[in-house]
Amino acid sequence: MSWAQRLLSVDRRIIFVLIGLGTAIPLLMPVNLPITVTPRVEAAYQTIDTLPEGSRVLISMDYEPDTMAELNPMAIAIMRHCFRKKLKVIGMTLYPAGPGLVEPAMKAAAAAEGKTRNVDYVFLGYKSGFQTVMIGMGESIRQQYPVDFYKTPLDSIPVMRGVNSYAGIDLVVNLTASSAADYWIQFAASRFKKKLVLGATAVMATDYYPYLSSRQLLGLIGGMKGAAEYEKRMDLFGDARRGMDAQSLVHVIVSLLVILGNVALFASRRSGGDGTPARPLGGPR
Amino acid sequence: MPEALNTDWFDPTRANVLVGILLFLTFLLINILRARRAGTLYIRPLPGLTALDEAIGRATEMGKPILYMPGLGDMSEVGTLASITIMGRVARKVADLGSSMQVPCYDPVVMTIMDGVARQAYRESGRPDDFPPGSVHYVSAQQFAYVAAVTGIMIRERPAANIYMGSFYAESLFLAETGNLTGAIQIAGCDKVTQLPFFVCACDYTLLGEELFAASAYIGREPVQLATIAAQDWAKATAAILIVAALLLLAMGRPELGHFLQTS
Amino acid sequence: MYLGPVLVTFAVGAALIVLFFVPHHQAQAVNAEILEWATIVYAFALILGSISLWNTHARKVRHRIEGWPYSLVTMITLVAVTGLGVVFGTAEGTAVYAIYQSVNSPLASTMFALLAFFIASAAFRAFRARNLEATLLLVTAVLMMIGRVSIGEFIWPGFPAFTEWLLDVPNLAAKRAIAIGVGLGAVSTGLKIILGIERSYLGRSN
Repeated sequence: MSWAQRLLSVDRRIIFVLIGLGTAIPLLMPVNLPITVTPRVEAAYQTIDTLPEGSRVLISMDYEPDTMAELNPMAIAIMRHCFRKKLKVIGMTLYPAGPGLVEPAMKAAAAAEGKTRNVDYVFLGYKSGFQTVMIGMGESIRQQYPVDFYKTPLDSIPVMRGVNSYAGIDLVVNLTASSAADYWIQFAASRFKKKLVLGATAVMATDYYPYLSSRQLLGLIGGMKGAAEYEKRMDLFGDARRGMDAQSLVHVIVSLLVILGNVALFASRRSGGDGTPARPLGGPR
Repeated sequence: MPEALNTDWFDPTRANVLVGILLFLTFLLINILRARRAGTLYIRPLPGLTALDEAIGRATEMGKPILYMPGLGDMSEVGTLASITIMGRVARKVADLGSSMQVPCYDPVVMTIMDGVARQAYRESGRPDDFPPGSVHYVSAQQFAYVAAVTGIMIRERPAANIYMGSFYAESLFLAETGNLTGAIQIAGCDKVTQLPFFVCACDYTLLGEELFAASAYIGREPVQLATIAAQDWAKATAAILIVAALLLLAMGRPELGHFLQTS
Repeated sequence: MYLGPVLVTFAVGAALIVLFFVPHHQAQAVNAEILEWATIVYAFALILGSISLWNTHARKVRHRIEGWPYSLVTMITLVAVTGLGVVFGTAEGTAVYAIYQSVNSPLASTMFALLAFFIASAAFRAFRARNLEATLLLVTAVLMMIGRVSIGEFIWPGFPAFTEWLLDVPNLAAKRAIAIGVGLGAVSTGLKIILGIERSYLGRSN
């Protein structure tokens, strides 16, 4: 078997080992590659930065553990930004697994900026229903959330004083890996005419570019790179920036593998083969 | 203070959507009349659907099961409804050939419907007693728990054919790569645009976007179903013409059509 | 036999379409009520799903089918976690919350992380220059992979802007075209169901 055939038939496990090393090594030995803030993330930043002191920001963190690597750093960076600007944060989630992630994130962001629960932020908790909740909040937030996550009545929480619908909210931020974004655009931005900023996973972020140009979204943070850009803008060094070195190296490894694969393909064709890989050496079939 | 209650009976900002729906219904009516008069309408071949028969035949010859995955959508997702129709055809073919099929479901309501469709297919094939109870079963409503269970089925039972039809999300590549590892023939159809590249890379045949919705008409060849595909094509052509017209008018300083086409 | 459900589908489907155009607060209250009903129906359907899950694994245990100990673990876990949740609740500090944080959460993150490995093996296998389209795909993929991370900027400062153009122009154009097609397909399928042309949701195979 020629070198080209061997390369084309390489065991998947070798590829997996290379990816594993490509992820682990930069995390253990960070390089801190440069990051430039893109216009979409800058727009999200400016939308929050230009809010007057005391404005209320509703942040709906609709994600679960599988996507927390991309969305949790965004959540913490955005909340810290709100706290630094002395904005009031109202946190919520529409996913049953959400509170386990959102609550620690809010606590971490508040602790880092010296903020106090109920005075500077509130966590409403989880409520099932998706669209029902979004529509219901347009009429009465207290009907959807009579108490917060810690069972405190909303009427006795200073942050929620005078806020009982979207009318009392100045900005909605949605961080999600699902179609929740579509509903927030449909209800919060279109029906209730609220300013909306979206944070989404990298794979779905491009789906929402049209909403930026139509101004239904005022900013878009996509994936771990977007989170890293936001952290850079905030002058923070969080999990997203830490992960960018690993992401960079893995991308390079995959690109090199693809190029090598094609070099082997051409070499194999030149030597009379059709480029079809033989059974991988020792690998499963 | 609560927001002022809306007392309007029509939202004028949605007039464009109403016009679109009425236009589509008109196209549908015209094409139903065309289809009834002609007996059939031309629909281009869809390799992914043609390959279904090949996949089922291959599985029967090898004596291995077919694994049919209806995706992670619930009954409100149009992709799931399309998947139910396709599964009915697959189940009928499986029943006719005496092959076997497993349908692990993410949503319990979908599971109930799929079970009914599969049983009906076996009844229509004249083999109601051959339907294996438990072949259509619920797995989990958690994305990666579902993935873990289904990939486990793939590795253990080595199905000859994996059919992915419906709404898939991040698990698409996971499932398709594991299926590729086991050597199964793989056919996918997904309405989620973000997942199409992964299926294209990992599967033998992929139905792109709206081809999934054309499946019921393609498989059944009933004139009324074919008429809906033709109506879709007419609507697409109309959309393209209107977009180009709006752009040209905008360039000439007449933005009215563009404003009308914008959604609120 | 199926006329009743078809009529109900038509009535509810047509009503929801009409409600889309009616912003009157009473109409929207009806809309919200129907959405609540869907949530309640789903909750009951979960019971059906649990029964199916139980039956599937009970059969494996009863007949000692290969892998039956795992089925036994599944059944015990189903009963135990459900019982703990019903008795003690799921708030912070409860057993279910602890199980979720220490078992469910890390497992879900791990499974998602495995995608990185699968993407690499799929890319290595699929991105081959077999024809013009495949060559375009692989060239674009390589450029995007390099340009979207910090190392791309390091190699050439114009890389991020170039990849943004790729996403903003050709990618967005193609996505919009597919999205229009999918949207129309969804409208068509929805109307087929409301008008009773498509009846697969009733559990019929035609």
